[in-house]
This record gives sequence, structure tokens and C-alpha cells, in this order.
Amino acid sequence: MSRLNPFAKLPGLNTASVLLVESEEHFQQSLAEALVEETSVTVNVRLAKSFPLPIENDESRPRIDLVVFIINLTSELSFQSAEASLKYLEPGYFLGKVCFMVTNARSSSVPAERLDAVRRLAASLHCPLLFAEEQTPQGVTNAAERLLTILKAAAGFVPFTTPLYLSNLTRCTLPPDIDQPSFD
Amino acid sequence: MRTPHNGAVVQRRSKTRSYRQSYRSCLGTASRLGLTPALTARRLNASRRAAKPQNDKVNPEHLALLVKAEWQLSYVTPLYQFRHTQLRSYSRQLAAFIVAEKQQGLAVEVSELHNSYRVSLSVVQGLTESEDDAETVLIQIHSKPMFARQDEPQRSVWSGWLTCVHGSPEYLRSLPKDFTCLPLFGSRGPEYLSRVVKSWFQKTFDCCFGSLEINHTSLQWFAALWTDCHSQSHIQHLRMLWTIPAAPPLQITYTVDHQDAWDLWNSVRKGPTAAVAEDAASIDLEEVTGFLQALKSHFYRHFRLDLSAGTLQQVSTAVGSAKSSGRIKMSNSRHVIATLTLLTECALLKMPI
Amino acid sequence: MDDTSKLLLQRLVRRIPTQMLKATLDKWGRLTVEQRQAMDFTQSKWALTQKLLSVCEENKLTLTHLAELEMIHAMENPNQGMWYTFQLLEPENDAQSVELTQFKQQFKCHLSELLRQMSVKIKKHTDEAVWIRIALGSSFSKPNHLKPTYVVHYLQTPYVFVRNLTSKLKPLLSQALTLATRHQGVKEANLSGRNLTSIRDLLMRQYQQVFPTKYRSPPEEEDQPVLNQHIEKEQGGVAAHRRHMAHQAFGDGMLPQLQSAVYMLDTKFRDPNNRTMTEREETFKCVVKFSSIDLLESLRSCASSGIASAPVTPLLSSIPLKGRNYFVVTDNTPGPSSQGHQTQN
Repeated sequence: MSRLNPFAKLPGLNTASVLLVESEEHFQQSLAEALVEETSVTVNVRLAKSFPLPIENDESRPRIDLVVFIINLTSELSFQSAEASLKYLEPGYFLGKVCFMVTNARSSSVPAERLDAVRRLAASLHCPLLFAEEQTPQGVTNAAERLLTILKAAAGFVPFTTPLYLSNLTRCTLPPDIDQPSFD
Repeated sequence: MRTPHNGAVVQRRSKTRSYRQSYRSCLGTASRLGLTPALTARRLNASRRAAKPQNDKVNPEHLALLVKAEWQLSYVTPLYQFRHTQLRSYSRQLAAFIVAEKQQGLAVEVSELHNSYRVSLSVVQGLTESEDDAETVLIQIHSKPMFARQDEPQRSVWSGWLTCVHGSPEYLRSLPKDFTCLPLFGSRGPEYLSRVVKSWFQKTFDCCFGSLEINHTSLQWFAALWTDCHSQSHIQHLRMLWTIPAAPPLQITYTVDHQDAWDLWNSVRKGPTAAVAEDAASIDLEEVTGFLQALKSHFYRHFRLDLSAGTLQQVSTAVGSAKSSGRIKMSNSRHVIATLTLLTECALLKMPI
Repeated sequence: MDDTSKLLLQRLVRRIPTQMLKATLDKWGRLTVEQRQAMDFTQSKWALTQKLLSVCEENKLTLTHLAELEMIHAMENPNQGMWYTFQLLEPENDAQSVELTQFKQQFKCHLSELLRQMSVKIKKHTDEAVWIRIALGSSFSKPNHLKPTYVVHYLQTPYVFVRNLTSKLKPLLSQALTLATRHQGVKEANLSGRNLTSIRDLLMRQYQQVFPTKYRSPPEEEDQPVLNQHIEKEQGGVAAHRRHMAHQAFGDGMLPQLQSAVYMLDTKFRDPNNRTMTEREETFKCVVKFSSIDLLESLRSCASSGIASAPVTPLLSSIPLKGRNYFVVTDNTPGPSSQGHQTQN
């Protein structure tokens, strides 16, 4: 099983690379276009549907600084696919180089249990969990901005901070009463 | 007639307050990062009793009004100073309110309008499960068609009900004095009348209405609960409607034969099956998802298309049908209580704390 | 004019959109030029109906004339109602030489032999289609012109399209059709849809198809906009392959429009996680209906986006391949990998 390794390659000069993983391949395209707008550093975006990544790309793939799992809450499959992909990441990634991004969290057809599951997953891996609005251009820009903040830290462009330090501050935590069923 | 105003509230206050504060204190600033719980951490119960047919205590005439029709659901926040003893006076007030709303925008007073609406609010005796549930209230509006003759009788044009079946006792007891909780509102008839009725309740009892959608988990629960009824009343079939986000959108109607659905349901049941131990039959969420998973895998084996990629929109059997848009139909009077219990729970999840 | 005629006219005027009404009346040709010029098409439908009623009275037009008008409208708008397809079987030697006058005469003759109370109109449409309008009566009543059956047949082809077929008319119609077209029998072709031209195209293979090949066609990426050089797809190859498979199963370009496909599944329930059901003797009976405003397009999109796993199951791809949208699926041979689909009737 070939796993993605955070430190197997040398970083590019003034370059940050992010891998967007989304089973529906729907939001990642517009998000990627917003991400590469960034001018202060060169942002490389790789798009994937799920892990494992094709071996033939191993050569051309830059060092991935941040892996983002995009989960559409209206689809059960989206979560299952992200969950299944996680095992293809080297443990080193979970020291601040993975984050989860949730879309459609406010849709009425989404059961609260599904968000709980994502929350639980993110908390168990000590990863940050971001919420994004994919329907409007404004929402896409906002999501890209937030990702860039994390990406820059993950790629080591922010002085005096490390990805691990940032993720310790921003990681998802479980509310103490998440397991409380209803009222009683 | 009883409007449960809990005498025990005063003693319980201390507990109630801490209950409330535990939610408030969690609301921090960094909610964008998913650090905080959602506004409420309450979830649907992960296990519930199997539906038992027990509607002997409800007036069959009233029950007949509830079944066989499709209702649009809403949730209602607790009503302030609502008295079950005052229903007659409420009827008059509501009728006058409807006429006043109709009158708006008309230059001259139309005398015919005055007696054109007859409103009746009544109690559906016995449609409750626990001590704390307030009695169900039925609202009916009768009227004549626009150009009817003088002697033509008034017809029922709109009906609705407010109910609370097996509401969470802890929540109901935590309510301050003078509040009556009837969290589930169903209506049927022209939209403008629904709007007027809602606005009258809002003005009179200081409450709020909001639309109640039935989400994926609840629909799955209905699929399982209704299939579980098959031992008592024939379900005919189990029909599910899924939408798949293709372009253009694809709808899949998946109809399973009643006997096969029932056999499959029994095969995923963990504990003693319903037939063995009638009382102890409780259903777990795990069994419900297992049931749906099995149905999906059968589908996938044939069409190589994963239904999980789509959303469940509708579940229907001969016992009832539920749509994600918040429409419910209870076709069998014996299982009304089970259906309303689940819906009451959904509505209570929408209550502000 | 009797009440039925009035009712038929009323319904017709209501059904035909105002902007099309003038052209339809012109085509009908039962009104004089002056009468047509006197019509004011900006009026309400109700006023138009009244006006037409009086003109029809004046011209002494009867129910049959109005039936003609309805037929003109139906032929102009073939994509209304639900069309069902029948297939003629075992042509006789002279089946290829049947021509319109002969068909007309034979068809009318055979039908009227079977049933007295019936009104049949046959017209040839510009695209070679023969349109037949049948209004059926019972032995005690006149033909019901309010609910006519429409039959469309292309001479020298084995396909017949029918709308509003009643169970009473079905045996009579199949008999008259087989005799008039010089065939031995007729069966249901298990294809239905609202769009007559689409189901015709599907059956007669008049749309762009892709023939299955072993070799990958050149990648279809060219038409996609060039991505930013900093954005790269890891699984672009896989996606292209999926798209290729989807196009192979459902064809390229525009597809005929179908609204639904129905599968009656009567197969064993097999699930490694569920022993009870797998060991059960009986089959698991269910009905699956796929529906969309453009079904084949939806299915193609499912396959190319990966919602439906590749390769596309023969169950779905046989909708365009076999030209049908109603299937009965059974396990035909016992064994672990038997998932054939067998067609009945």
C-alpha cells in the first residue's frame, strides 16, 4: 500500500501545495481556482476523488503540505469515502497537515448525527474542522482564505509557528454532551 | 381538561438552570472551526419502543379526522397562557381574526364576511402518552364557497392540530409556569388560512412557528417502524424515493414487497424479534441503519449504483407516508401514536433552549 | 351541433395554446377566409370558443369535422401523453410492399368488421408516419370522440406507437394491424415515453451511437477548458476512463428523451453480511423505477461522475441497446455469479 508521506520530498521554493480530496469532485474545482489566486506564495493544488493516489503521479507530485478532505453532508457516501481514504496517509500528516472541510451543513435534510460523525472523526485525529458555503462565490472565497491561512502555516511560511502548534489551537474538540441522547 | 402546569417546577429550578447554562456557556467565539457544539447537542433517541397499536382511548371520530389526510408539519414553541378550558372563546377570537384579516384592503365593510367562517377548537381526548403531555387540540374552519347559495351548508375548508405525544418529560418539566408545550403542528388546507391561524397563535400565545422538515434519519426510522407494524397491520409495500444528484436529477423509486421487507427487517433485528417478546421490543438505531444498508446493498448488486450518494426523500407504506419536505400521512389509525411520538421528538429538537 | 361537439370544441380550444390556434385553424381549412379573418385571437379562450361555436353552426360542421381538427393538433404536437410501443412479428412475403392506400383500406375494413360503432381517421404525416385516430363506442353508444386512441405507424417498419389504448380496443387493434400490415402477430415492445420522436429514434436507432470497441478512443479531454497550470487532477485518467465507459454505454451527443425505466426484480437476496436472507429460499421481490426529465442523460451523468460504478451494468445500458424501458429481472441459473436478466413477454 503506497501511502502519502509528508517529508519524502523537498519543498519547492516559495511554494505551498495542497491536496483537495472530495468524492463528488464538485466543490474542489471552484475552491482550487480561488486558492491559486493567492499571490504571496505559489500555490499548487492537486485534486483527487479519493485515496489511494495513482502511483504514476508519484514523480510529478510535489511535496503535499496540506491534505483537505471535503465532506458534503447531504451525501452519506461523501463521509464514507473520506473515512476510507484516511488510511492512505502517513501518520506524520496528522501532526497539523490534515484538515476537514464540511459543506451543506445547514441543509434541512441533513441529520445532526452525520455532523456528529464528522466531528468525532476530526476530533479523534486532532484535526481542524472548517465549515464552508459552496453555493455562493463569496462563500468559496471565504473558504479559500481560511484554507490559505492553514496552508501557509503547514508549509512553514509563517514565522514562529509550526503546523502542529496551529493545529493544537484549532483542532476540533468534542462537546462533553455529544453522546447524550435527546433529553433523558 | 388539563393544562399541565407543573407544580414541581419550583423545586426543580436549580436543576433546570444548570441544564440551560450548560448549553449557553459553550457558545464561544470560534464556532467557525467547529470548536463549539452546535446550538444544541440534543439528538433523536437512538432507540425506541416498537409501535404498539393502542388507540382505544381516543375518540374514533376524532381519530378519523387525523388519518387518511396529508398534513404539512410545523414546530411550535411553547404557548404562553394557553388554557384548554378556554377553547370556546378562542374559537370566537380566531374566527373574528380571520374575518379581520380578510377585511384588510377592502374599502367597504362587507357584511357577509362576518358569519362566513365558523371556527371550532376542540380537544382530542386521549391522544397522549405520558402524564406531562398536554391534550391534543384540533382546529377546524368551516366556510361557504365564494359564490354559494344562501341555504348551502358550510364545508370544512381548513383543519389543523397541535399535539404532544410522549414529549421528553425532562424538557416539559423544565418549562416555566404558564407555558403549555404542544410542539407539533399539522395543517391541511389553503396556505393563506394556515398563515392566518399561525399569526393568530403567535399574537395570542407569544409563540413561534417554523417549518419542520423530516430529515434522513427520521425517514429511516419511519421505514423501520412502519415495516415493524407488518405483524399487526398489512403494510402492502415499502416504498422509498431517492434523488441522485446527477444532471438532470435522477429519481429512484424503490418498492419492496411487504413480505420480503418484513423478512429482511427480522433478519437485521438483533434481540428477540417482536413476535417473541412484545413488551421488550425496542428498536435500535443500529438495526434501522442495518435495514437500510441491506436494502441499498441489494440495489447496488443489481445496478452498481450506490444510493448513499443520493438523499432519501420519501418513505411510504400502507401505514403511512412521510416526505422530507415535512408532509406526513397516517393511513392507519392504529399506529398514529407511534408516528406522532417520533414527530414530537423531531419537533422538540427544534425548541430553543 | 350536439352537446358532445360543443364539449369537444371547448376542450380543443382550451388545450391549443392561443399563439398556435390560428395556424391550426388555417390548416383545418373548414372556415372561409372571411371567417378566419374575423377571428380575434387576442380575445379570451372563452370568447373564442363562443365565436367558433357560432361559426361551426353556420357552416353546419359536425363532430367528424371537429375530430379532424383534433387530429391536426395531435399530429402537430406528438410529444403529449404517454406513448406505448408494439412490435409486429413475422412479416409475410409481401409485407415490404404494403403502401398507404392499401393499408388504409385494409385497416378500416378489418376494424369495422370487428366493431360497428367506431370512427376511424387515417392521415399521412409529412415524415412518412401514418397517423390513425380511433374513437370507440360500445354496442349501445356512439363513438366516444372525447377519448380517442391515437396510433402511429411507419409503413414497412415493425413498430407501432399507441396512445390512450383501452383494454377493449387492444385485441381488435392488434388484429387489424397485423392483417393490414401483412404480419403474423404483434407483441408489446416494452418501451414507453412522452416523447414520440424520442422513442421512435431509440427503436429505429436514429441517434448517434458508439459501438463497443476494445481500444480506448483518444482522450476526450481536449474539449475541456485548459486548467490553471497550478491545478492538477490526480485521477484525471480515471475520470477520463469513466467518461469513456459512460459514452460507450449510453452514446455520445444528444440522446433520445425517455422519462422512466422500470425493473421488476425477482432475484435472490445475497449479502455476505446477512446469512438469514441469503439462505432464504424465496426470492426478494421489488420494483425499481428510475425517472428523470431526460433519463439517459441522467444515467450517463451518473456513470461519468462515478455515482454508478464502472463498468455500467447491462441492466442500465440495455435501455438504449435494446430500445426498451420495462424489464423483468430473474435469476435464470442457480449459482453464485448468476445475475443474468431474462426478459418476459
